[in-house]
Amino acid sequence: MRPRQSFLAIGLIVVAAILAATFGLLIGAKTLSLETAIRVLLAPDGKIESILVWTLRLPRSLTAAAGGAGLAVSGYVLQTLTRNPLADPGITGVTSGAVAPIVGCFVYLPWLSPAYYPFIGLAGGLAAAAVTFWVSHGGQGRPLQLALGGVSVSLFLGAITTYVLLSTGPQSASLLFWLAGGFQGRTWSHLFYMLPWTIAGVAGALLLRRVIGMFMLSDHAAAGMGLQLGFWKPLILILAVIPVAGVAPVAGPVAFVGLAAPHIARLLKPRGTGWEIGLSAALGALIVTVADVLARSIAIPRELPVGIVTALLGGPVFIYLVQRGRLSLGGEAR
Amino acid sequence: MAAALAVLAVLSLSAAIFLGVADIPMGDVAAVLTGGGSAEARLIILDIRLPRIATGILAGIHFSLAGYLLQTITRNPLADPSLMGVSQGATLSVTIFLLFTVYIFEPGSNTLAELPVAWLPAAGLAGGLLAGGVIYLLAFRLGLGALRITLCGVAVGAVLHAVAIGLIAGWGSARIEIILEWLSGSLYARSWDHALFLLPFTITGLAMLPLIYRPLMLLQFDAAVARSFGLGYRRQFSLVLIVSCALAASAVGEIGPVVFIGLVVPHLARFLAGRNFMLSLVLTIVLGAVIVTLGDLVGRLLGQAEEIPIGVVTAVFGVPLLLALLRKTM
Repeated sequence: MRPRQSFLAIGLIVVAAILAATFGLLIGAKTLSLETAIRVLLAPDGKIESILVWTLRLPRSLTAAAGGAGLAVSGYVLQTLTRNPLADPGITGVTSGAVAPIVGCFVYLPWLSPAYYPFIGLAGGLAAAAVTFWVSHGGQGRPLQLALGGVSVSLFLGAITTYVLLSTGPQSASLLFWLAGGFQGRTWSHLFYMLPWTIAGVAGALLLRRVIGMFMLSDHAAAGMGLQLGFWKPLILILAVIPVAGVAPVAGPVAFVGLAAPHIARLLKPRGTGWEIGLSAALGALIVTVADVLARSIAIPRELPVGIVTALLGGPVFIYLVQRGRLSLGGEAR
Repeated sequence: MAAALAVLAVLSLSAAIFLGVADIPMGDVAAVLTGGGSAEARLIILDIRLPRIATGILAGIHFSLAGYLLQTITRNPLADPSLMGVSQGATLSVTIFLLFTVYIFEPGSNTLAELPVAWLPAAGLAGGLLAGGVIYLLAFRLGLGALRITLCGVAVGAVLHAVAIGLIAGWGSARIEIILEWLSGSLYARSWDHALFLLPFTITGLAMLPLIYRPLMLLQFDAAVARSFGLGYRRQFSLVLIVSCALAASAVGEIGPVVFIGLVVPHLARFLAGRNFMLSLVLTIVLGAVIVTLGDLVGRLLGQAEEIPIGVVTAVFGVPLLLALLRKTM
């Protein structure tokens, strides 16, 4: 696609996301009409409909969109950095690395302000990524190595998290719902917690698009073009974990978005790393917004965690990628 | 080798019987085992320690043998019920079963002891076989290589796990703590019933071994070699897969998903046995039982009053091993 077409595509995806979010404003335990929703959006009047829209549904949809964009960019950067098409914050263990220490802090250090959670998530996510990357030779061994390394890191952290949950007693119910990944009851303050991290991740990726693009070549070629690998590799990895550090404390693990969005973006064949990043972010926002609307409209009045919906949508994508042998980005499958 | 193995087995078994949070003098334990002893010591040894050891031994055999079979037929040294989605499938169906019992059987019961343990292995079996079926479809219908099957197993496992966590979070209400406890892979409060309901699955699985022994040896090689020996590749592959899934899934039903036993033990066994196929199979079975027994003992002693579930112990010890293996073998 030419740049203008890419711009148009991003615009269309954003419009689709807004439509999905608007639909999300209408649906829920109490269904609103479009008219009412627009009326209270433009002129909040303090009545029940207005509260529904302004304090429950709108911040929730915006949080979902921002979270999706962040996860997608994180996935994009991880895939490029490792030249491994299966890389994704979930598969590489980054998400569980960010989530597990937050559960630990919640249980053992309840006095700690949640404002610190993104930093803890960042540290944990980086540690998990470091282990996975060490196992898979910087992510550039076979795709299997990366996937199994990440899964075993996740299993390890999952076992410990379950144990921690066990020792918490009554709190475990709310922690579990958070662990399933979702946006129920997320408010403006959640959004403002997350936003700086998402913006930093997306903007950072766009600013560093040339460096990220160079990683698509081999390490050798990148070094030949004058890239200081020892400096840029860790830095780009940190950049990839930053949006996850924002999303994890707010929404818990939301699976497979970081995997699917960049792949769909690349299918559209935009010209240049920057457009790929932009398209990934827009698609991530769209996917999570739609998943969130689905999650709360499938089983009214109950809610499914968004993590389930994205896993059910993303799992088949993963299998499709494996099946189609779309593994050529980094080392052949066999 | 056989003598060393027997000594190891006896040592770990007696350690598991003699050691525990409740300090019972050795003499008293011996007295209980010979039919005497105080009522309290009898209760602790006969009704608490021995049944959980027995359940652990059976489950250990299940997990390690399942891993061995999976590794052999997928020709992937990293196959394991918990990495291929079989454990997650069993976890999901047991979760559904536990949630349903709240509404159907006995809405009031909220302790582990009151759960319908007899049905747990069967409940696990359904989900484990389902996950195995998906692997089978992916393996044959799509004609994927060993590596891609593993990757698909990873994806199937992730999806099933997400659904299970979501169900617990959304509908768990009264049962959350019970399910969590079971989910961490624990032998806590396992009674003779647990061992008893697991036993038929163990016996069936072991009885199948002579039947699948020769095909298994051939399945180590690729399909063409196996066929040239006159093996019905598909039929034998699915048979071994079913046995493997059934073993892993039924054990998940009774003690929860204990990760990495199925991965680590076969490697240990093959390392010790060298090229002797029969010996590696036997070692896998014995070491599976021994390692789960020891792991549970470690969790009991380390955690004291609040014991550490066996699933956590195996994850803590198993992961570094797996990571080292991953980095080295590929």
